[in-house]
Amino acid sequence: MTPSLEARSLSLVRDGNVVLNQVSFTAAPGEVYALLGGNGAGKSTTLLTFLGFLQPSGGKVLVGGREVAADIEAARAQIAYLPEAASLYGHLDAYENLSYFLDLAGRKVTRAAIDAALDQVALPHAARTRRMQAFSKGMRQKTAIALALLRDTPILLLDEPTSGLDPVAIDEFHDMVKALAAAGRTVLMVTHDVYGACQVADRVGLLRGGRLVGSFEAAEGQRIDTETVHAAFAEREAA
Amino acid sequence: MSAVLREARFLLRDRGALLWIMLALLLSVAATGFGIAEVRDQRATIAELLVEDARDRANALAGQSDWGGAAYAAFHLTYAPPSEFSFAALGQRDTAPWLHRVRMLALEGQIHEADTKNADFGLIGRFDFAFLAAAVAPLLLILLLHDLRGQERVAGRHDLLVATAGKPSRLWLPRAGLRFAGLATALLLPFWAGAAIEGAGMAKVLAASALVLGALALWWLIIELVGRAQASPPVLLTALVGIWLALALLVPAVARAAIEASTPVPDGAEILMLQREAVNGAWDLPKEATMRPFLAAHPEWEPLGEVTRPFEWKWYFAFQQVGDGQAAPVAKAYREGRIARDRAAGIAAFLSPTALVERGFERLAATDTAAMIAYEDAVRAYHGELRAFYYPMLFRDPPYDPAVLSQLPGYTPAQ
Repeated sequence: MTPSLEARSLSLVRDGNVVLNQVSFTAAPGEVYALLGGNGAGKSTTLLTFLGFLQPSGGKVLVGGREVAADIEAARAQIAYLPEAASLYGHLDAYENLSYFLDLAGRKVTRAAIDAALDQVALPHAARTRRMQAFSKGMRQKTAIALALLRDTPILLLDEPTSGLDPVAIDEFHDMVKALAAAGRTVLMVTHDVYGACQVADRVGLLRGGRLVGSFEAAEGQRIDTETVHAAFAEREAA
Repeated sequence: MSAVLREARFLLRDRGALLWIMLALLLSVAATGFGIAEVRDQRATIAELLVEDARDRANALAGQSDWGGAAYAAFHLTYAPPSEFSFAALGQRDTAPWLHRVRMLALEGQIHEADTKNADFGLIGRFDFAFLAAAVAPLLLILLLHDLRGQERVAGRHDLLVATAGKPSRLWLPRAGLRFAGLATALLLPFWAGAAIEGAGMAKVLAASALVLGALALWWLIIELVGRAQASPPVLLTALVGIWLALALLVPAVARAAIEASTPVPDGAEILMLQREAVNGAWDLPKEATMRPFLAAHPEWEPLGEVTRPFEWKWYFAFQQVGDGQAAPVAKAYREGRIARDRAAGIAAFLSPTALVERGFERLAATDTAAMIAYEDAVRAYHGELRAFYYPMLFRDPPYDPAVLSQLPGYTPAQ
């Protein structure tokens, strides 16, 4: 089966600094792949190469088996992207924001579908018609997650998706991601939350200094062992 | 269409953008209103002076008993009426005279004695639509468009927006295009209304609109190119205002200084002084010294050109014309110098969209240097008609008949 996402010996040099160095991994349909790493490990940079914002200095990134550089627009059309601390428009309410972004993506979505997505992320009804500048960070993140859901794309790229969410909302989010994967979606999330990554991911890649230094895979019907990953993460970070 | 509707709805919620567009609308209403008021004031002045001029001439002629006295006493109003498009660009009408009351005396001094009026307007310019479209509108466009990308970067939305749109142009083109269209509409609607009120021709209105849109499109391109730099909105704004200052103020000022230095033009006052000295000096010269050059220019009066009495009107008016003749080389240099400077300024205007738009409007409104020089030429031609009317009377000296003066040529302005 063609992987939905593939980094093949991906390298990136910016301003003379090696940001990514020979990174290779794949994520198949129905799979959740988590890239773990500390600050400056190259996690978000990896996501941006899949979106065509950064061009590899070496190697390739492929979306749906096609090199991103060959058709950036086609690659983006398959991806719903949730940036870290997603900032939607403060002067618009949740409905207006979602309508605007979905229109921008070329999707026509009913108000009922928007409500269903907002229900899914548990955004209170009373908040939906308030300007988002009054939203808490968690509420803004929930709205952005709803946008990613409503995009209804085969691939989701999530950059620190649980940032700002309370513990209950994080659990609900993990369940949601698992459900999306079960429905055949490919999810690539980058995070430095070891526990969260192990809760939700089928595979975890450990990124440090732009290199993929470890890889962990869940056994059939089980979760990845958090302690093992945490030990590797701590060891690598200390090294 | 969907993108336009999406961005239109978005624009309607963007208070900052709406503020600048509303300001453009208010400024356009004000500029158009000021222009119409000024043009109407000028027309009213002309209409009033036409009545006063006829009354004054009738009074002056009533007390005369000979042809020379009539020619000496009567003033004749000449004027360049504002075109139906002048409301949009008052141009050189602020600094160059657009009416003269002339007599049969030496003409060049009468034309140039008013050259120094309205010096203040020459310095600061007037707030008309041409100024708004040429100089202020680009600033408003900069304020509307400079941070389209920058503010999204600062807010952390840029990548999400572009990734969602897929193709950047699907987002930025309609977003910038609608702001451009909003600004252009706010500027042009009052102008079109003013043109309809003034009865300006459709071709001129369309040409002027195309000029405004073309210049704004050029500024849009500049903003777009500068805006692609990964800089913060304040840095982009500073850079763009710097470019505006250079193109709108610095380039025209440097070009003007260079043109003035490279193309010297005598002062209008020089012509006035030279002509007056020639005329005043003629009183002390032998009459032959005046009549010889005059009759060389008018051989048809040679048989009647002898001056036998101490004072004769034909001699008096001959030395007026000879005075004009002596000032003619300087007047010609002044005229040709202004044309040369204007031509050079026209070429230099291609370095400044602001200057180009202002010149384009002045050309359409017939308020440019060429139109003002054409008016001076029309005054000279009319003065020639007055001389052609009076000289047969002055040289043949038929019995004075005031009824003949009803056939005096009248001034008809060019349309």
